This record gives sequence, C-alpha cells and structure tokens, in this order.
Amino acid sequence: MSHARGMPGFIGSRLCIAVVTLGILSVVVFWATEVLPGDAVGVLSGSDATEAERAAVREALGLDRPAPERYLDWVGGALRGDLGVSMVSGRPVDEILVPRLLNTLVLVVIAIVVIAAVSVTIGLLSGMRAGGPLDRVLSSATMGLIATPDFLLATLLLTVFATMLGLFPAVSLVPLGDSAWQHAELLVLPTAALVLGGLGGTTRLVRSSVISVVRSPYIENARLNGARGLHLALAHVLPNALGPGVQALAIMAAGLLGGGIVVETLFNYPGIGFELTQAVGTRDVPVVAGLSLALSTCTLMILLLGDLAARLLGGRASRGATR
Amino acid sequence: MVELDRRRFLGLGAFTAAVVAAGLTGCGTAATPAQNIGRLRAAFAGGGAGETLNYLVGPTALDFVRARLVHAALGMIDVSQPDGVRYGALESIDVSDDLTTYTLHVRPGIAFTDGSPLTAEDILYSLRAPALLQGLPFTQIVGRDFDLDNAVIDDEHTLTLPTLRPIADGRLLLCQSMLAIKAGTTEFTNTTVSCGPFVISAFQAGQETLLTRNPDYFGAAIGDEPTLDEIQLLSIADDNARVAALTGGQADFISGITPALAQNLDGADGVVVTNGELPYASCLRFVMNPSFEPFADVRVRQAFKLAVDRQSIIDNVYYGRAYLGNDIPALGFPTYHSALEQRAYDPDTARDLLEQAGQSGMSVELTVGPELPGMVETATLIVENLQAIGVDATLAELPAGQLFADYEAYTALPFAAGYNPPALFEPNHTPGVLPEADALVVTARGGLTEDERLDASHQAQQLLWENGNQIGPVFVPGIDAAVDAVSGVRDQQFPDLTNARLAE
Repeated sequence: MSHARGMPGFIGSRLCIAVVTLGILSVVVFWATEVLPGDAVGVLSGSDATEAERAAVREALGLDRPAPERYLDWVGGALRGDLGVSMVSGRPVDEILVPRLLNTLVLVVIAIVVIAAVSVTIGLLSGMRAGGPLDRVLSSATMGLIATPDFLLATLLLTVFATMLGLFPAVSLVPLGDSAWQHAELLVLPTAALVLGGLGGTTRLVRSSVISVVRSPYIENARLNGARGLHLALAHVLPNALGPGVQALAIMAAGLLGGGIVVETLFNYPGIGFELTQAVGTRDVPVVAGLSLALSTCTLMILLLGDLAARLLGGRASRGATR
Repeated sequence: MVELDRRRFLGLGAFTAAVVAAGLTGCGTAATPAQNIGRLRAAFAGGGAGETLNYLVGPTALDFVRARLVHAALGMIDVSQPDGVRYGALESIDVSDDLTTYTLHVRPGIAFTDGSPLTAEDILYSLRAPALLQGLPFTQIVGRDFDLDNAVIDDEHTLTLPTLRPIADGRLLLCQSMLAIKAGTTEFTNTTVSCGPFVISAFQAGQETLLTRNPDYFGAAIGDEPTLDEIQLLSIADDNARVAALTGGQADFISGITPALAQNLDGADGVVVTNGELPYASCLRFVMNPSFEPFADVRVRQAFKLAVDRQSIIDNVYYGRAYLGNDIPALGFPTYHSALEQRAYDPDTARDLLEQAGQSGMSVELTVGPELPGMVETATLIVENLQAIGVDATLAELPAGQLFADYEAYTALPFAAGYNPPALFEPNHTPGVLPEADALVVTARGGLTEDERLDASHQAQQLLWENGNQIGPVFVPGIDAAVDAVSGVRDQQFPDLTNARLAE
C-alpha cells in the first residue's frame, strides 16, 4: 500500500525528469546535426555545382539562417505538433515518422512479449535448479545467444527459413497501401531475429534474480510453511523475481526501438531506425531531428513504464530481506 | 580531372541509362510489337520514406530509373550515331556552323497522357524546369551552356536555343538527362501527365512504385516499344537484402550489387549476373591535391601513379569485374586517347622519383569512404603500395555518405578518393590544376573543326596523363543480377527497363 500511496508523486517526478531530459535531448540532437561534417546542401548540390547554385540550395532549405533561430523554430513547431518538412523530398516529417514508428513499435512489442515469456520460463527453470544439468544446458544456450552478433543471427534465420526452406519472405516487401504489421508473414523473421538477439541477456538476468530470491529468507519461510515445486516457483519465487526482469525488458525495448537497425536493414523492414539512417545519410535535418525526438520520447515513456512496473512489483522477498 | 560526387554520378547515371537504351535499337531493327507479358519486379537501393516522384530533387538511382520510364527522354546519348545521340522526344537537333545556335525539332505526333500534344513550348519548359522548380544543380547542366532566357519558339515543333559560348557537344548535353514534361508542371504526383513508356499506377515512398505500360507511348516510331504490362520498382536499401529478395523469389531483377556478392551469386541456378561494359564504367580516382606541398612536385605525383599495382586491384578487389585504368577518364568513349602508353606498375622508378624530389619517407593520409563498390578496398591496396616505396601512408576511412558531404572540406584534403561516372571527358572537365590543359579543353569543346577538337582533346589528356594529379587505376562497371527469365535490360550504370522482357 505504501507503494501505491507514493505513486502519484513518483510519476510526477519522473514525468518532470522526462520533460527536462527531452528538452536537453532536443538541443543535443539539433547540435549533433549541426556538427556533422557537411550538410544537405553538400549532399544534394553535387560536386559540380557553382557557389551561386550552392547558395541557392542553402537558401531554399533555410540553412542560411542562424542555427539558434532554426532551433527555436523547430522546437516551437514540435511543441505545436509540427515537425517540419523533409529537406530532400518536401514531405511533412510526421508523414514519414508515423507509419515507420508504428511498424517498429509493432515489431518491438511482439519481440518483447515473446522475450518476456521465454526468458521468464527459462530463467525460472534455470534458477530453481541452479547448478543442475538443465541449468548448465540452458545457461550454455543463452551464453551462446549472447555471444552471437545480431547480424549473424539474422543472416542465419534468413538463409535457413527464407532462402533454403522458403517458409517466410526474405525481405519485407509491403503491398501498396498496406502497413508491414498487417502482414504477419513479414513479421516472423525480423521478430525472431530481435528475440534471439535479446533473449540471452534477459534470461540470464531472470535466472540471476530467481537464484537471489530462492536464497532469500522469504522463500525459506515459504518452504517451512509447506510450499513446494510449481506452487513455490509461481506463487512465491516468480513474483519476487520479476522486478529486475521488467526493468531489463523496458531497457531492452527502448534499445530495440532505435537499435534494431541491423535487423530492419537486413530484412528491409520499414521501421524508424532504418529510416533514421537514411535521413542521416542525406543530412536531412528535420527528418533526423523529428525521428530522434520521437524515439527519445518513446524511450523515456518505456523506461518510465518499466520503472512503474518494477515499483509495483517490488518484491516481498527483498523487503523481507531488509527487515 | 572531372570533379564528381555521388549526386553528379547519379545525374550522369541517367545519361548512362540513355546510352543503354540507345544500344537497344542501335541495330536499327524495330522492336517486336507489344505483347502482354506480365510484371517485372525490379529492386533498387531506393531512398527511404523521403522518396519523391519529383525527379528534379530526387537524388537516388531509383529516382532516375523511374523518371526515365515515366517521362520521355529528349534523346539518348549513342556514340555510334552520327550526331552522337539517338533522338527520342526530339526528332533532330541542328547546330549552326559557328556552334552558337542549336535548333531543336520536336517529334510530331507525341501525346501526353491527358491527350494534349508535345510542343516546342513543352520542350522549352522542360529545359527551364530544373531552374524554375529549384531542381538540384546536376539537373541544370543545360542552363550552364545555353541561354535559355533568349530561346525562341519558331513554331509548334521548332525551338531555337542560343549558346552562351561556342560548343560542339550541345547535343550531348541536351540529350544527357533531359526529360519532356508538360509546360506548367509544378508538381509530380501519381496523376501528373507524362509521355513516357509507362505511367504511375501507384506509389508508396520508400517501398514501391507500380508502373503500367502507356498504350499511347510513341516508342514504336523509334523502335523503343515496351512489352511488359507492368513494372514494379521496389526499394530495398541493403545490398544483401536485394540479393536475398532475388534468391528468395521476391524480385526478378536487382541493381547495383557489390563485386563480392556478384562473385557469390555467379553460377547460382537460374540467376544471371551482368557487368556493365565499356564505356559505361565509373572511373575510380585518387586525387592528389597540389596545394599539399609534396604534391606540388610533379615527380611525386608521377611516383604515386607508378607505385600502384592496378592488376592486383582488378584481381583482388573486383574479382576481374573492372577495367584497367590509365589515369585519364572516359575510357571507351570516342575521344578517349587510347594511343597513350599504359602506365606501368614500377615501384623502383617510383622510389627513385620520390628520392629525386626529396620526399622519400613522406607522410600522407588517404581519405576514402564506401561511395562506390571496392573504393575502400582499393584505397587499402594503394596505401600498401605506397608503403612499399617508403611512403608513410595511412588510410582515413569515413562512413558511407560522408566523403562528399562537405565538399569544400573534401576538396581541401591532401589525398582523397573519388570517382567519375561514365561520361565524355570534355564537357565534364573541371579546370584549375593544369591551365594549359584547361585551355585545350576549351578548344576541344568549341573548335570549329572536328579534327581540331579531337586533337586538342588528346593533347589535354596527354598533359593530364603526364602531369595531372589523379590516379585512375580502374574503371568500375555497374553489376546487376536477374533471374534467367529476364532479358532486354541494358544496364551499364543504371538499368533502362523500357524494353525489358520476362519469359513465361
């Protein structure tokens, strides 16, 4: 109950921190696009352009104005929900952002749900029998996954399930007018790649947490009260071991939002990370800034939700241990 | 000495596509009458969700491939033709004896998709559009040599263009990448009227463009009639993903793969890998900046050229899929000075030259980025070659897209990689390093007789070969791959799919 009573204050303070963080991030993002070597003028003009032609392009893109003035315009627009237009195509940034963000969110949510289910199951099995044969096998497997680079896992999936067996499409070619998430077959391999990439670390963390809980006085007490086997695992150990796991999942989800670039690129999945790399390549500042701001916002929200969940799940075992 | 970056490369890619298409009808036979034979799925690197149908601001290869399929070309460069071009929306171009006036004759009977005829007014607007609609600089090549403000529409099918200076290669400029659009066009959407071989049925940025054959296209008149019902242009940015799409049956044709991937694909069942042939290969070049003190000495520049093992680059970087370069651009084009002695690999002489110049053990950093297949790997070998003659050479590798992003900084680098797309030498020459060669290039463009022009061009190339500041070790062709049912794609740099066919 004490957790619930302190919750509004906790949420309020975290939201304040998130807003300040976003403000700082907006400066950092804009500053980063400024200090990158070159700009959209250099990318778009071509090397044979005259200085006058470059100046015309610079003026057309609004890059002849001072950076602080452009930053204030951008922030003002963002606060009104207007992220500007792409320097390359002239398309509104939100038109580019929204579908790509949705595609990535769908991919990340599915991956996180699968990772949560599998890692909790395996982590619980391993942790409850720490040091046993099953734990050794599962630990070896999870360590193997951690040690394998994401691109290698994705390439293996692609080679086996798309090229050799032909079970799933090799690349995500979304039918015109549709979104990627409307086609389950397009999600399978990218999701599997994300799951395999994230499963090892989360499973190890859950296992470690389970071991810690199993050795706590609370569980000892539960055992003395007759709890055994599956009942002990599900009713006593798991609820107390979930807190760290949830936070780890939140951090992983935040990372996958922008960090799934390798998977999105390899499977041609139209996500936001992939789009961000394209925009950086063309120095399309409004798109880079808009996508980065959206990613930052989503990341902060996910971390906040993770903190909230972990606080709500705050284990009796740990509380009991400190008493 | 042409200074070109990726944008320029892409712009000139359109020219290459034009040449490719020219080859399709170069034999003079009419194309087979149109038949309904399906949909071709062709994958390109694309440009992400920022992709646009406005080809004047679209910087990717896919933008040019699509634009060529939707908007008719004024003409196409074809070095085998008497005028050096094969005409499209234009029927012919007359040039005055003093090379200061060009008369463009519009092909009669061409209709836009809204039924209106193509006229001289449309052609003039098409030439002005890059400036009027704020097109990227590389689209504005005609405006640099022609006085478009003083152009005169003589009649519905005749347009007279004065030049800003005498030029003999104006036909090439007019037909290099100019497309015919309707006068007054300011936006490019799915429904924008056009007069090319295909029309846009659907478009989703960063994903797909669906093109349907234009039944009113004038291609039959020039032996350039498409046979496919539809072309599906797919955006797949990653090289490996494009290959996976091909081998996984999701694409029939993929463009622009690396030599290593081509090597892997070669011999795969049902897949055909094709290399671009000369003259349609990009010149990979390494520029020595004369303002960097050691490179002010021509002996150092010559030493660097002699130190490079070109055959090793062809064998080890390109698996034989590249052409031997001789430090001058435009290999395979008619004015290329093929009588020049091939530069040898001679590290001993290179070492001696450095010693004579007092630069033994000099230090230099070669800046490179992955802007062309094999560019970084070639630079790595060149650094090793230079180290072998005692130069303290190091490599600075930039991420993709950064090498040319800050062009002023790029031109200030002491030693940097770059490339020239396949193009004639003279109109693309950038003056500044050798004034004597610059003067010769002016004569090569504006001399009153063909012999005078050719002689000046060869002299300029000779000077650049001897004293120039560029190492051009190899020419790199585009590499495409397709399932064996696909034919009729002539892809040297960028593919022209107008006459592509798909066997049942």
